[in-house]
Amino acid sequence: MNIETALYPLYTTGVLSSGENLLYAILIGIMFGFILERSGFGRSTHIAPIFYFRNLAVSQMMISAIITCATLLTGAVYLGLLDFNQIFVPTTYVWPYVVGGLLFGLGMVMSGWCPGTAVVGFSTGRLDAAVFLAGVMVGMSVYFDSFDSIAAFANSGNSGRLTFQNILGVDIYTALVITVIIGFGLAIFMNVMKSIRDKKGEDI
Amino acid sequence: MEENKGYWNPAIAGVVLGIALFISFMIAGQGMGASGAFARFTAQLTYLWDSSFASSSYVVGYLKNGNALSNWTVLEVFGIFLGGYISAAFANRIRGGIDKGEGYSTLKRLGWAFLGGIIIAVATRLARGCTSGQALDGAATFSIGAWIFMLAAFGSGFFFARFFKKQWKGVN
Repeated sequence: MNIETALYPLYTTGVLSSGENLLYAILIGIMFGFILERSGFGRSTHIAPIFYFRNLAVSQMMISAIITCATLLTGAVYLGLLDFNQIFVPTTYVWPYVVGGLLFGLGMVMSGWCPGTAVVGFSTGRLDAAVFLAGVMVGMSVYFDSFDSIAAFANSGNSGRLTFQNILGVDIYTALVITVIIGFGLAIFMNVMKSIRDKKGEDI
Repeated sequence: MEENKGYWNPAIAGVVLGIALFISFMIAGQGMGASGAFARFTAQLTYLWDSSFASSSYVVGYLKNGNALSNWTVLEVFGIFLGGYISAAFANRIRGGIDKGEGYSTLKRLGWAFLGGIIIAVATRLARGCTSGQALDGAATFSIGAWIFMLAAFGSGFFFARFFKKQWKGVN
């Protein structure tokens, strides 16, 4: 790979202006919303069953998307098209991520939504999505108001850009293999859980 | 196999979503998100109500220029709304209504949706993103934090599911 000549990402390498990048943001969002709606994720009743191992669409789609995107990104790095260091990777805050994840799962099975899917549900007329998004905005202001008292926890466990490459000292190709193994492992786990549920014949 | 409802097969839809996510990274250097837009939208509304809010510690970065909405994720979420609408319009799937399990109280359903929204908002601020901006984007870029978040979220969802069986009764 030849990082000096990497053309992508177009915005961070200066090919696109800030305004052009924002225009593409709308187009990228349209793609995202279209794909989510086409796959059924504009309905909470298509999302919630994942938590009962009844309909694995959520996990199948997520795992498939992760593996596809990771493979394409790795390919682009191999071809010298993409400078991986210019890609935004969220900073890992270990304990806030654990607590945030636990709360997120509770909120998701309670509401049947997550923020992105609720936007799609809202756009197609689902009232439960609109109410969920109103709750999200209330929750945001609660967080803003109480931030000073929880800031120490929210910023704890800062591990920087924590990737498989950094923590294991491996290259991006090994990181891709690890990601594929985790993805298939989770897919198998979900299928086993579903077949156990199917045998018991329980409805939700 | 479950009832089809005319939706894309999830594994194939995932490939399409993965390609879209790849395009997003190649153009903008970042993946798709959602929760950040609602944080900014809420910050902007609060600021319009009371401009002294701009100096409060969490949102000071959002409101540097007095406009939290001139941001990539905010415009992208506007696009999600349009894209969802366009897809549903072509598939004749736009209709008002509330989804819930058979015979479940509408008021309770909306109450859980609202409370779930509050909890998820706090969760996304702690986790710096949601199922898209944190889980999908992070895992596709080999971030370990994304897997920590996902395992915690789905583990928690599987655990708490038992308390919401009535709300989702008969759904699949």
